Amino acid sequence: MSRREAGASAVLALLLAAPACRPGGDAAPGRPAVLRMLVPANERPFWLPLAESFAKARPGVRLELEEGPVPTDLRESLTTSALLSRDGTWDLVYLDVTWTSKLAAAGWLLPLDDAFGEAERAAFLPQALAAGVFRGRLYRVPFRTDVGLLYYRADLLAAAGIAPPRTFAELETAARRLQSPPERWGFLWQGAQYEGLVCFFLEVLHGHGGSWIDPETLEVGLDRPEAEAALALLVRARGAGGVSPPGVTAYREEETRHLFQSGRAVFLRSWPYVFRLAQREGSAVAGKIGVLPVPTLSGAPGSGTLGGWGLAVARASRQPEKAIAFVRHATTLESQRLFCAPTGFAPARRDGYADPELLAANPFLAELGKIHASATARPVVARYAQASDVLQRHLTGALAGLATPREALAAAARETRALLGEAP
Amino acid sequence: MSTVLARRARLERALLLSPVLLLLALVVAVPALRVLLLGFTRTELADGVVTSWAGLATHARTLGDGRFLSALRNTALFTFLSVLLEVTLGTALALLLDRSFRGRGALRAVVLVPWALPTSVMALAWAWIFHDTFGMANDLLLRLGLIEAPVAWLAQPGTAMAALVVADAWKTTPFVALILLAGLQGIPREVIEAARVDGAGAFARFRRITLPLLVPSLVVATLFRSIQAWGAFDVVWVMTGGGPGGSTETLALYAYQSWFRYLDFGYGAAIAVQGMLVALLLAAVVVRLASRREEA
Repeated sequence: MSRREAGASAVLALLLAAPACRPGGDAAPGRPAVLRMLVPANERPFWLPLAESFAKARPGVRLELEEGPVPTDLRESLTTSALLSRDGTWDLVYLDVTWTSKLAAAGWLLPLDDAFGEAERAAFLPQALAAGVFRGRLYRVPFRTDVGLLYYRADLLAAAGIAPPRTFAELETAARRLQSPPERWGFLWQGAQYEGLVCFFLEVLHGHGGSWIDPETLEVGLDRPEAEAALALLVRARGAGGVSPPGVTAYREEETRHLFQSGRAVFLRSWPYVFRLAQREGSAVAGKIGVLPVPTLSGAPGSGTLGGWGLAVARASRQPEKAIAFVRHATTLESQRLFCAPTGFAPARRDGYADPELLAANPFLAELGKIHASATARPVVARYAQASDVLQRHLTGALAGLATPREALAAAARETRALLGEAP
Repeated sequence: MSTVLARRARLERALLLSPVLLLLALVVAVPALRVLLLGFTRTELADGVVTSWAGLATHARTLGDGRFLSALRNTALFTFLSVLLEVTLGTALALLLDRSFRGRGALRAVVLVPWALPTSVMALAWAWIFHDTFGMANDLLLRLGLIEAPVAWLAQPGTAMAALVVADAWKTTPFVALILLAGLQGIPREVIEAARVDGAGAFARFRRITLPLLVPSLVVATLFRSIQAWGAFDVVWVMTGGGPGGSTETLALYAYQSWFRYLDFGYGAAIAVQGMLVALLLAAVVVRLASRREEA
């Protein structure tokens, strides 16, 4: 290599190291402005009609949908790193119900209070809307919702003359009578160390009259007897002679769905998406399933954990006004029809549950609407992710027999209090 | 005259190396330094990510953090078990591949397939193998009569760790075998032949000649693998997510969670730095032991 070449490679190295050019946000005259958003690859086809209708409603602005990985936690890290760099890569954020507090506390989202007034907010399911409010300001507008449900094998229960269970005791008895492990298990749920376990545990906890974290007072209820009873129920279900397989502590949604759908379980706690898949052709349980609210101690309809996805505007966006226009557009009834009718996802708007067009596409919505009305959101606290991880670790610890429910919950309560105490 | 030439040569060498050094500085030194500095800061989320100087306070947090200690223990256990298994199996594999037999070339290539697979892909496959209901591991063991009922491998602390070690060993044993194979081929055949003539049996030849001469390669393989295993992330992330009860959470996983999920950048950096210090210490011990052995 000659000296000149050496010099040239030094220059090249410098060029390589120079920050990459930022993607242009503002449109050149005559060309449409581009809004960018990351969506899971499997949802993108259903977003396209929305992008099209937006282009018609708002000529001169185009929505570009970037395909992201399907697993939620991977998109969580992608979103975090993009927002952290504040380069306006994405104008819009499609976010899970639990991300709001963290991203808002980091100052990465634009408050939408002015854009969405009282009248507009009243159109949404109240719990879904509340999940987007952090420290009194609205950051996330709900787009679609999810709620925890109890699926059951209507055929098996009818054949045995058992009424659909309303209480935990009824559920346990019915599951025990109808199961024949390991071919068919009584009750499946999500028991792996991840967010899904927290969602399920909260339903059992609330069903026992307990509570996790009060978002207002930051009071922690994990070391009360109700919580111990709730966890003891899960430990018993998974234990010897129980109604749930030992492997349940490694199951996420899909493992439980596969087992249920192949006819190997009587009851399943999961989300609405299972309904459509379990009822379609080729499923071993098509036409044989029913849906119930999650059970409680008393028999009153339980409160399913609220999940779902919403839209927010990145503070780093260079075209916030256009991004807000899209949030507005995507949350009209017309748009909800476009997205929810073909997918079977539940709308975030209240009128979606009474809409003839959506009900025709998905009759299950009528039932879902009732269950949604009593759903409980997870607490909106800045350190939600840590609090959830503390709970996950101690729940799985107790399930795996590393600690008794009482010890596990006492430790979880202590760590949660320390965590919330040090939060600003 | 000669000093002038020497100086010119040195200058030229520096000039030629500078682009690479610059690139290395930018992609390795700068981020590493940044992490090091970040470990001395405190991150708060108060209407924005607020970073303030914390001195050693952030590092001190690990002392009272049971989760850090458990992650440290898990990382050490995982590293020890997986490297032990890999070096043992890798030595056996290398000895086999060193012999001459038909199809050796093809086998040497095939053996590398696990090493070439992306870790996340193979981890996903292993997660299904260890699945309690649909998994092959249970099916096989049940048929062989080694277990009486299906085992929920990934749902119990001990078996979950064992499953991780097996998956990791499956993937990286070829790498160890490759290094050791190169080492074996550097051993002069005459020495082994001479031992044979002197009446040494196969085991004595391995124990007295092959193994001592293989020590430098063993050290290299152990070091490489220990450092990699110490930073294990993908295999754990995919197979157990750190569960159950945090019993398989590694330091890398904890640091990642602190950064990307908790937005606690200071503490994430402190975890990474402390983990690295322990790894360096371990590496120093391995090198020291090996060099003493070589001298002896």
